[in-house]
Amino acid sequence: MAQIRFQSVGKTYPNGFVALGNLDLEIADKEFVVLLGPSGCGKSTTLNLIAGLEDVTAGSLYFDSTLMNVVPAHKRDVAMVFQSYALYPHKSVYENIAFGLRMRGFGKEEIERRVREAARTLDIEPLLERRPHQLSGGQRQRVALGRALVRQPQAFLMDEPLSNLDAALRIAMRAEIKKLHQTMRTTFVYVTHDQAEALTLADRIVVMKEGVIQQIGTPEEIYDRPRNTFVASFLGNPPINYLDGTLSADGTRFVRGALSLALARPLQGQAGRQVKLGIRAEDVDTRQMNQMLTGRVSSVLPVGSDTFLGVDVEGATLFFRLGRELRAHEGENVSLSVNMSHAQLFDSSSGASLLWQ
Amino acid sequence: MSARAGALRGVFGAPVSRYDQASALWLLAPMLGVLLVVAVFPVLYSFWVSLFDLKLTRPQRVPFVGFDNYVDVFQDELFWQSVWRTTSFTLICVVAIMLIALAMALLLNEEFRGRRLLSAMLLVPWAIPYVANGLMWKWIYDSGYGALNGVLFQLDFIDKYMVWLGDSHKTLWLIANAFVWKEVPLATILVLVGLKSIPADLYSAARVDGANTWARFIHITLPALRPSFMLVVIYETMMAIRHFDLFFILTEGGPAEASHVLAWHVYVETFRKLSFGTGSALAYIMALVTLALAYWLIRTLGEKL
Amino acid sequence: MKRRLFLFFASALFLIYVLAPVAWLVSSSFHGEAEITSRPPHWIPHQPTLENFAAIFQARDRKVTYETRRKGDPATGGYIPSTARDLIPSMWNSLVVAVSVVLLNLLVAVPAAYAMAKIRFIGRSTSIYFMLTTRVIPDIALVVPFFLFIRTFGLLDHLGSLVITYLAITVPFSVFILVSYFESLPDELDKAARVDGCSRLQTLLRVYLPLAAPALVAVVLFTFLTSWNEFLLALMFTQTPKSQTMPIVVASFASDFTISFAFINAAGVLAVVPPVAMAVIFERYIVSGLTAGAVKG
Repeated sequence: MAQIRFQSVGKTYPNGFVALGNLDLEIADKEFVVLLGPSGCGKSTTLNLIAGLEDVTAGSLYFDSTLMNVVPAHKRDVAMVFQSYALYPHKSVYENIAFGLRMRGFGKEEIERRVREAARTLDIEPLLERRPHQLSGGQRQRVALGRALVRQPQAFLMDEPLSNLDAALRIAMRAEIKKLHQTMRTTFVYVTHDQAEALTLADRIVVMKEGVIQQIGTPEEIYDRPRNTFVASFLGNPPINYLDGTLSADGTRFVRGALSLALARPLQGQAGRQVKLGIRAEDVDTRQMNQMLTGRVSSVLPVGSDTFLGVDVEGATLFFRLGRELRAHEGENVSLSVNMSHAQLFDSSSGASLLWQ
Repeated sequence: MSARAGALRGVFGAPVSRYDQASALWLLAPMLGVLLVVAVFPVLYSFWVSLFDLKLTRPQRVPFVGFDNYVDVFQDELFWQSVWRTTSFTLICVVAIMLIALAMALLLNEEFRGRRLLSAMLLVPWAIPYVANGLMWKWIYDSGYGALNGVLFQLDFIDKYMVWLGDSHKTLWLIANAFVWKEVPLATILVLVGLKSIPADLYSAARVDGANTWARFIHITLPALRPSFMLVVIYETMMAIRHFDLFFILTEGGPAEASHVLAWHVYVETFRKLSFGTGSALAYIMALVTLALAYWLIRTLGEKL
Repeated sequence: MKRRLFLFFASALFLIYVLAPVAWLVSSSFHGEAEITSRPPHWIPHQPTLENFAAIFQARDRKVTYETRRKGDPATGGYIPSTARDLIPSMWNSLVVAVSVVLLNLLVAVPAAYAMAKIRFIGRSTSIYFMLTTRVIPDIALVVPFFLFIRTFGLLDHLGSLVITYLAITVPFSVFILVSYFESLPDELDKAARVDGCSRLQTLLRVYLPLAAPALVAVVLFTFLTSWNEFLLALMFTQTPKSQTMPIVVASFASDFTISFAFINAAGVLAVVPPVAMAVIFERYIVSGLTAGAVKG
């Protein structure tokens, strides 16, 4: 139904603030794309540009091959779910869902049919005559989804729709949204700052920072092959650990003080370069294997299924996730083996990855 | 609870429990006292007076007449005419105020340079005393040298100066205009407050749903403004029904009773005919009607909240 | 671009509607007697003069002589009355009354509003309805009983009678504004203060009052303006320039056909300047004082 293409798109506000700079992005038809980043990174702005709620100030936005720059929001064929749900308070649930269809001139029978079908899919049929203020947060969320569903639009836009829900509901809704995407077979563009959400839902993730795209890729690519320290830090819980150090003369080892770890693949011609080693919290093991690091335990935090271990290594404190059966005490010395094939290597000053570009 | 935490204390420091009757009474006492003296007492006293035939022209003889005064009032043709005039005046004013206030509030809700200036200027009509307001419009409406005649003449809408206030067909409308002009600012503020409380997201959702500007106005703005509108209607109805000042300054009930409204009727009866008995009865009827109207309005419109 | 144009025209219309009558009032007050009677009117006076204002401020010295009478157009009787000198003293009366009413309002309304907003007591909702009901009563209904009462006590023509009467029409609204505002302030402050040892009175004075500044300004403003502008009751209760307030004196000019229009307008301008100045200066307090809970209330 629709491919969405940003070509050198920029968005600058009248007061001079640059929200987006030179954005190039192609969202394929039927794809589930997640725009991920911290607040202020421009992800919501990008979504608003697709919806037409804000105007492009530079570049071109295309739906398939149609230029959309000057097409007003109410003439575009997209549906949107808002963080605050934005349900019409003076209309019943039925009317809320039907509104978009009415505006587009659908007949009464057609509207009735579609609304009931959507209500059935989302399990909100008994709520149709109620008003939004009589519903719980989760129910309102479904109504917001229903409002978007009935339209059968070219693209589904979602702006942090789950952030107002409690944890358990959020996880359940994630699965529902994923299922929705599979049944509807439409383009989904989803905005969030929650990296777990991005990893579970996305076909592709677009990581953004301060109006600039940092990396586009599948969840696996983003997680295993981050292009810079920002992307590496943003995904993964607890966040990736960094160690500053240098490369050995032959480019085969990472050296920091007494610590020396062999790289999975040697780097040619980088002798002596200042680098940052990235080790994810889950990439260590208590079994004694090849590449070891030793340090002193600074904190032990059991969290039910796992144990978080804080270890001081060569002057830096690293946090690792280990099994619940771990027995360790503060002040003890500990040796852990590092899975170097998962380790990341970045340039110390620019933060750019030396392994993947 | 630590030992340091003290007990809740009342007005003068003595510890109290959750229902703090004593404190409340002390704090309310001045207000209750004032209102009893200046509001409740006069109402009761005026009822008492209305049962007597008290004419200040012969104050020594004050016979008790029971409800005769009320009968006289209801049999007076002029009374019913004033009721009719008051009703039309009120209707014209409330409708005009609503429409103009809505338009002005919509304008002030937009963001643009100079909006603060407009807001500040908005209060000018509201601050002006009704007396000065009356004078101002009287001069504008003047049939010999007034500005209304002047403007219309210069724009070639009329070819000679007309009589305005003196024309009984136009009188109520002209007075209504002066009243509306002064009441609009407050109404605008009330509507503006309502406008500002509408979440921006609702408009975004409506745009995505395919609603153009007019549809958004009908489906989002108007429903959300119902509480504000209700407040404006109730308040302005109360103000218009009881209004006196402009009628005194502009036309003194004339010409030929064209602007003889209820408030004027009470004034004439009491302070020109000096018949306090019937005057009280009239005032009392007016008070009761106003109360009933306020109650009814709140009941019917308040439900829609 | 279309939007800019539209906003410009709408703003122009707005300003004309709101300001044009007042602008004309001001302009007229600077007209000399000859000019004021021109057809069509001179929107900006060709020969502006201060004689109308001079008459008000220096009226004590003026004597109505044959010469001064003749200056005007006899057809409109445009002369400046000797009673012009009453305007300034009447403004003083208005000021005295207004200030007294404001102070009394604050004394009476603030504690009551605090109680209704923050204290739970039996009869709470009744008091609120009672207070609102008293405002529904038209001023007319108060006139007769008050007049008789005041006359009996010989308090006619005394500023005090106005002050007391004005309380009836100002206290309910003051309480309403304050209650709305107090209700929007957090309850926890009250509990914290009282647990810390403050009596109710101290909580009110030390904690809530400083926070309620916008509402207080709104109350002062509303009360002052209502007192300053009030006409009907003043008409009833004052008889001589000794106690007449500004609206009465100004009204007396209007009903005299022989008085110059320019002069009447000048009197109007003077009557208008203080309240308008206050309103414009304190504009933002009016809005915020009104709106805390106003719509929900």
